[in-house]
Amino acid sequence: MTGILEVQGVSIAFGGLKAVQDFRLSLREGGLQGLIGPNGAGKTTVFNLLTGVYRPDSGTVSLGGHNLIGLKPHQIARAGMARTFQNIRLFADLTVLDNIRIASHARTWTSTLASVLRTPGAIAAESAITEHAMELLDVLGLADRAQETARNLPYGDQRRLEIARALALDPEVLLLDEPAAGMNPQEKIALRGLIRTVRERFSLSVLLIEHDMGLVMDLCEQITVLDHGTVIADGSPESVQGNPRVIEAYLGAPSAEVSA
Amino acid sequence: MARESGLKARAAALAPEPMTVLKQSVLPLVAAFVIPLIFHFGIGPSVGAYPSKVLLDIGINVVLAVSLNLVNGFTGQFSIGHAGFMAVGGYTAGLVTYYGGYRIWGDSLPHGGFLGAGEMLFLVATIAAALSAAAFGYLVGLPSLRLRGDYLALVTLGFGEIVRVMIQQTSDIATDATEIAATSWPSLLWKVGGALGFTGLPFYTSLFWVWLWVSLTVLVASRLKTSTHGRAFLSIREDEIAAEAMGIPTTTIKVRAFVMSAAFAGVAGSLFAHEVGTTLNPGELGFQKSFEVVIMVVLGGMGSVSGCVLAAIVVTVLPELLRSVDEYRMVAYALTLILMMILRPQGLFGLREIWEIWPFKALFRSEAK
Repeated sequence: MTGILEVQGVSIAFGGLKAVQDFRLSLREGGLQGLIGPNGAGKTTVFNLLTGVYRPDSGTVSLGGHNLIGLKPHQIARAGMARTFQNIRLFADLTVLDNIRIASHARTWTSTLASVLRTPGAIAAESAITEHAMELLDVLGLADRAQETARNLPYGDQRRLEIARALALDPEVLLLDEPAAGMNPQEKIALRGLIRTVRERFSLSVLLIEHDMGLVMDLCEQITVLDHGTVIADGSPESVQGNPRVIEAYLGAPSAEVSA
Repeated sequence: MARESGLKARAAALAPEPMTVLKQSVLPLVAAFVIPLIFHFGIGPSVGAYPSKVLLDIGINVVLAVSLNLVNGFTGQFSIGHAGFMAVGGYTAGLVTYYGGYRIWGDSLPHGGFLGAGEMLFLVATIAAALSAAAFGYLVGLPSLRLRGDYLALVTLGFGEIVRVMIQQTSDIATDATEIAATSWPSLLWKVGGALGFTGLPFYTSLFWVWLWVSLTVLVASRLKTSTHGRAFLSIREDEIAAEAMGIPTTTIKVRAFVMSAAFAGVAGSLFAHEVGTTLNPGELGFQKSFEVVIMVVLGGMGSVSGCVLAAIVVTVLPELLRSVDEYRMVAYALTLILMMILRPQGLFGLREIWEIWPFKALFRSEAK
């Protein structure tokens, strides 16, 4: 069975540093998969490879059977892969509503000329975009903050706004890069519910990078573990937890000397 | 291959009421034609010749500032070669009205009255100016918009200087009707006066034409800002990587901003070329002019259309009021800029429009949504 997102043998080197080697992944349609690994393991690099920020030296990436290698990031986004960023990248000086509406631009069909002439079609398109955006904000619980400037939102809301913005692209696959980073325990619990809800409601497949093991083990059906740019384990949460190579990557080898 | 977003179906159910279309689409367009008529027949004759001349200068600067704002404000790219596009437009329009006039009427004097044959030629010339400046905008934009920040600024500065120097190398203007009739268009292209300037152009620039183009420029810019295409511009300014990840083709959009901006600069060049009391010469349209426009945009607010309009008015009127201390103008500019950078780096209005800011907000509350 092939998944919606298939990654085979992807490698990239920056100069002499082999950042990611022979990375593989198969994300089942509707699945919720985790990507974990110690700091510097190459998780975000994998996201950047999948979304076209970097072009892999070798390997294949396909989404729903279509090859993504060589496409620009905006083409990959339009093909159905949306992402959030580890270090939040909102359109900080724009309103919450505009942040969402920008992502809808990829799905609009009106020409610049029609927008400037304010044709009835363009007016209708704008209303549709706004309505769609407000619905998303509603789902994410941000509707009453629609007119606020994004940079003024509390941290947790900014993270949720990033998810809402990614959803406005109407993606098939959602890549979440440490969505729980910096959240307090209550926010984390809410986030857990939120990820489940949006996956259900928008019939998404989700790939999640996260350091909070509780969250990952609880949410994900499948986990891929990365260390030094290579996949060291792959499987169910239970099998990964018991895998000695994973324990070694996180805690060091049992026989290793403790040095000061 | 992406799933159907349903936006289109949604839009079909949201067709606007006829009144909404009238209010949002038609009325502003009508206003764009009525306002210039008021300027031309109402305000102009009642204030006299000198204030009218200032009103022309204000209008041209508004077109320049609002158009540069598309690149420097909306899209967040730093261009300092706007006068180069203005020069391209000015000389293109000058060629059309000067040599075109000779070909048609045997001289380069204005022909016909208000909206007469001569002014129609001027309209054609101005559109040609917009197109040629836009073409230059495309040529400059395509290779250079991969550059960021200072590098892009340097390329645009270089472009402006290249245009200026090229124009200086041109040969004398042809002034003999029979000679002009006998010369082919391609060889006339080079006869635009060199460093001395392209003199003898017909004075077509009137309050009507200037404020018509002001209205259109402002209309285009403000409608763009409140539409999905304008938001795509703004997203690049905010965060290029995030914009790209959200499906915005950043290179295409940047080139589009550059082309639109250059087109309106070309219009401003045409208006400037046919104005009484100005000479179209390369010295006038050098680095200093480019910088003046940048100052207007920075002062008014990077991204604020109304802020740029206001700044263009202030920057045009202040030197007129301070004519006695003219030589200190550049000092005043520099000081203002330094103060702005320290106190309000986002410009007077930042990204906001005047009506989005207290105390005006209350006045417009019913409109604002």
